Amino acid sequence: MSRSAHVRPLLGAVGLCLLASWPLIMSSPYDLRLFTLAGVFAILAIGYQFIFGNVGELSLSQGAFFGLSAYVSGILAVKAGADFPQSFAASIIVCVLLAVLVSIPVLRLSTHYFALATLGVGQVLLLVAIEWQSLTGGAIGLSGVPLPKLFGVQVARGWPLLLFVWCFVALAAMVAFQVKRGLYGLACHVVRQNAVAARSLAIDPDSIRFAMFLLSAAMAGVAGALHAHTIRIVSPEGLDFKVMIACLTMAVIGGRTHIWGAIAGALLVVHLPEWLRGFQQSYLIITSSVLIAILIVAPEGLAGLVDRLLPPQRSKSPDSDGLSPIQDRTSDGVLMPSETPILAVRELTKTFGGVHALNNVSFSLMRGSIAAVIGPNGSGKTTLVNCITGNYRADSGAILLGGGEIGALGSDEIAARGVGRTFQNLRLVDDMTVLDNVAVARFRAEAATLGKSFLIGRRDEKLSRARSHALRVLRRVGLEHAADVNCASLAHGTKRLVEIARAICLDPAVLLLDEPAAGLNETEQAELARLLEALAARGLTLLIIEHNMEFLKNLATHMVCLDYGELIASGRPSAIYQDERVIEAYVGRRQAAEATA
Amino acid sequence: MRFARRIMLAATALLSSSALAQETSLTVPIIAPITGLLALEGTSQLNGANMAIAHAPAGLKIKSQVIDSGTAAEGGANALERVAGDKSTYFSVAPLFGTQVLAMLPVALEYKIPILAPTGTGPVTEQGNPYMFRLYPHDAVSKAAHIRYVVEELKLKKAAILYNTTGYGQSGFKYMSEYLTKVGGEVIFSEGVDLSAKEISATLAKLKAAKPDVVLIQMHSASIAMVVKQLAAANIQIPVVGNTTIAMPATASLLQPSELKGVCAESASWLEKGADAATDRFINDYVSKHGAMPDAYAIQQYDGLMMALVAVKGGAKSTEDVRKYMSTTEYKGVAMRYKADAKGNLAHSVVIVCYDGASLNPKLVKRYDNVAGF
Amino acid sequence: MIQLLFNTLSLAAAYSLLAIGFVLVLNATGAVNLAHGSFVVVGGFLAAGLGSWLKLPGAVVLPIVLAGMMIIGGLLSLIAYYPLRNRPAVSVFISTLSMSAILETATLLIFGPSPRVGPPILSSGAIQVGDVALNVQSLSTVLLAVVLVAAQYVIFSRTVLGKRLRAVAEDREMARALGMNVNAMIVITFGIAAALAGAAGLMFANTFYITPGDGEAYMIKTYVAATMGGWGSLRGAIVGALFVAAFEVLVPSLPLAMPSLVGALPSLEALFSPIASTIWLYLAFLVVLFFRPQGLFGEAVQQRA
Repeated sequence: MSRSAHVRPLLGAVGLCLLASWPLIMSSPYDLRLFTLAGVFAILAIGYQFIFGNVGELSLSQGAFFGLSAYVSGILAVKAGADFPQSFAASIIVCVLLAVLVSIPVLRLSTHYFALATLGVGQVLLLVAIEWQSLTGGAIGLSGVPLPKLFGVQVARGWPLLLFVWCFVALAAMVAFQVKRGLYGLACHVVRQNAVAARSLAIDPDSIRFAMFLLSAAMAGVAGALHAHTIRIVSPEGLDFKVMIACLTMAVIGGRTHIWGAIAGALLVVHLPEWLRGFQQSYLIITSSVLIAILIVAPEGLAGLVDRLLPPQRSKSPDSDGLSPIQDRTSDGVLMPSETPILAVRELTKTFGGVHALNNVSFSLMRGSIAAVIGPNGSGKTTLVNCITGNYRADSGAILLGGGEIGALGSDEIAARGVGRTFQNLRLVDDMTVLDNVAVARFRAEAATLGKSFLIGRRDEKLSRARSHALRVLRRVGLEHAADVNCASLAHGTKRLVEIARAICLDPAVLLLDEPAAGLNETEQAELARLLEALAARGLTLLIIEHNMEFLKNLATHMVCLDYGELIASGRPSAIYQDERVIEAYVGRRQAAEATA
Repeated sequence: MRFARRIMLAATALLSSSALAQETSLTVPIIAPITGLLALEGTSQLNGANMAIAHAPAGLKIKSQVIDSGTAAEGGANALERVAGDKSTYFSVAPLFGTQVLAMLPVALEYKIPILAPTGTGPVTEQGNPYMFRLYPHDAVSKAAHIRYVVEELKLKKAAILYNTTGYGQSGFKYMSEYLTKVGGEVIFSEGVDLSAKEISATLAKLKAAKPDVVLIQMHSASIAMVVKQLAAANIQIPVVGNTTIAMPATASLLQPSELKGVCAESASWLEKGADAATDRFINDYVSKHGAMPDAYAIQQYDGLMMALVAVKGGAKSTEDVRKYMSTTEYKGVAMRYKADAKGNLAHSVVIVCYDGASLNPKLVKRYDNVAGF
Repeated sequence: MIQLLFNTLSLAAAYSLLAIGFVLVLNATGAVNLAHGSFVVVGGFLAAGLGSWLKLPGAVVLPIVLAGMMIIGGLLSLIAYYPLRNRPAVSVFISTLSMSAILETATLLIFGPSPRVGPPILSSGAIQVGDVALNVQSLSTVLLAVVLVAAQYVIFSRTVLGKRLRAVAEDREMARALGMNVNAMIVITFGIAAALAGAAGLMFANTFYITPGDGEAYMIKTYVAATMGGWGSLRGAIVGALFVAAFEVLVPSLPLAMPSLVGALPSLEALFSPIASTIWLYLAFLVVLFFRPQGLFGEAVQQRA
């Protein structure tokens, strides 16, 4: 790690030098032209990374926005004689407006349907461009698009145009950098890897996807307008599926989430066929073979390959950055459940295909209590949690949090109102550090937005605060030492603890734990129990789904037992353990199972 | 008189070429779409150009450089930028793909390099660019002849027009419908079909229901063959006058002679053996190399490139010399006489050929020389 | 009108073969094979080449085409899928796109850029049924498609190999745990998909001719058909194919069905041009997804691990 810590900045510097010296060394007008075009496509690919990389949606409309923007620029310049700043602004606005329009029916679709629906946008635009001859010039296109003109000065071909375009590349890269590095970027990462987990952390994936889609479209608008002014013609070829394929190839070959990956991908995809053009038709075969070879060698793209060979240096924990951690002011209190119900479930019913997963379940939780839901496998415990957290919508019944109805809210809203949860099947982001996994829970509390992330200065204060908060939580659960480790490399038990830490970091009023003790050894279980008791003592209300009676015995203050979706018992643990129906549900069935086995 | 002298000069230059010992070396870039949807026409263009280089006047040391312009709009312009700076390059062969030529025009103007493109689509010579030379008749010319044949010879006025929604198809449709209206005809049905569209029975059913006197077509090879085949299969007995692609040997080989019976086509050029030695040499060599007769794109490209080579042979030492020669000299090629008008249109002749139903080789039925555009 | 309905059916039959192959690969691998359109091109050229060389009808040439396409499909999976099987699905997206460029350029280099005509399946010509002339080629296209779909069904439901193929499609991990050679099954699935697409290529090559650049259009149509029916559903693929074919033939011919309406409003005709019909297809697709976000028949594919 220390080696890569030194090599990576060096590599970055070398890369920048290579990039800057490229047009100096290969400086024929032809090379400059290709480098300029590569810049245009780099902007397109950087823009595409917002939707495809940051939030992981396979959008196939980036090419459509690109072509549309070129048409808007071209038509305004040729037919209306608009100046570059006017046509440029108009192209971006039109792209964003179309993106808003498209996103209404399309953004709610899941992956493949989303991909094809966005592909359809491009196909429709292409046909319109061909048919609407009076406006677009038809299939042959509209020629005579002028070179860009700024403040009365025409940007000449060659070096001036190259620098002009690459200024926009730098601008696009800066925007992308700002969006990616802060707390907002962290939230995007969670949305990409695990949208369900994001919702449980009060992050609304839909609004993030929407913002990224618009940002992608706006960048495509920038690239399209520059393309029209660079090649001096707009034609249906700009809307062709081939442009979209080229853009996708750049993003995949370069690396989905790295800005420099998009630039490298664009340089490669633009230059490769040109370098091989001497082979007449067969250059297509060679180009494609090279692409497949790169995919096999570097499946996560060139950027991914570099990351694999030289792992990035972990971002340091906030306190080593000199940010003094705020001391835990609250001391451990005494476990003292109050008599006011914080969460009440009334006559909750949920059916799946005619089977009652939950049937008329009612109970309530007192503030500061530790309640447990027990029941055999398939008794509806997880369904209950999913209904409370809004992952499922109950068929009937009511869920009240602090007296307010939350049954109709989305799960991110429910989380924002103070219901945290963990998942039976862990939902952590494996390629993120423990610290960041936990810190992202501060997204709502820090009110991180896309607009604010543009204004990040030397460091994102929100992210720093979130991390120092996260570090405090990690210290409390005893995971401080693992803060800088990637989640993927953690043991199962530690992952459970990280999930709990993440949920605590949300500062919830109620915490739902779905089988927190599963996979823990006895020492770990005891530690976990102590931790949970301490949390409850500070007023956090806990609802624990668990099989492990031994674990619950001394922990729970209240228990409910579900069987076949029905609440069969409710009361103090000692009473539950004596309840005949509970024993019947648990022991009876186990004996029956053993008898048949 | 002055023109005649120029022709004389050109002819002497050609004849005396063997006498001159010193060699002029030049590079000829051939920029053509040899992959993608226009690969068929682009390859014909390439074949014609290669044949012209093989038959080049003696004393020229020619290095040809083939560059695929592909499908992207900037494909031709990138390629031109690549070759234009070279000192030994006096002109360039440009793609027949109109969009790519349009994108090449600013580059050609900047480098002051003549580009020779066998494209018919309208706007390429409307940009006031003195370096643009069009080797194929302007659609305004070829479609005027096309319509004149239909209206004057066949006496048919109610037309249905089918075209591909490409630059080529739309340009042809525009000029056909405008000219037909001008001479008192009427377009009673028209439909644009995407180049990748395959099933066109709905279009043909609508065409049949419109009851036209004649079917006019401006389509690419596979599409026009499909139309002719399905019209024959549905036994729709309406005269068909198509564009040059139906006269291409590659298209005719997709059909049976019976399906082609009575089908006519407008084309830029039509060659038959026995006209003169140069034509025979071209036809013989082309057929022996490619196994088929040259189509109009190959012929026009052959003539146009040869004209530029003759210019170099005749002493043109720069791009400007070639431009002057191309824009002022009259040149007799194997297909026709070429003489640039003010906009750089070199070809002004159109032929009409028809299939007799017995063979896959159409016969010349009408020749229009010096057609005025409109 | 009956003629047009019949053409729709014949087109849908050929598209079904494409969509079924596409879905088979999708189910087995969880990844989209974007070289599927190129299988049509290669199969079409293979049929055209063999047909003009052997002077035999398509039905006789078909077994050779099927065998050749199985090999090409299998090879493609070894190059473009196998090395990337544990990678994000979008890598396979790019690798199959690259393979399609390779296949189509190779076709261009071998056969040249000219369109080619394939042999008719049985014979050309038409048979007269009442006052409707039914094209023998269309008729045999439908028959052949039914036979091939039935064969595919029998192989998948009645043979040991088919059961293994299905097991892999349902759950790769489970199939591996049961000791099946999952990778071999995937190669075979690619082969079958390519063979079905090649058969469609043989049908298309006669009716519509075939050129090396045709792959993309077939690819997009297949993609639409398979998605509209429901990701991973074979029944859905067939319905999707019918849907796409209807928008290609029936929608543009609607003015014929209601001449009075068009007579009154001639500008309406533009709404039924082939271009407009394609736009309607995509809008219809959006409408379908609006009411059924999982496609007509719902999702059936395993999520890629």
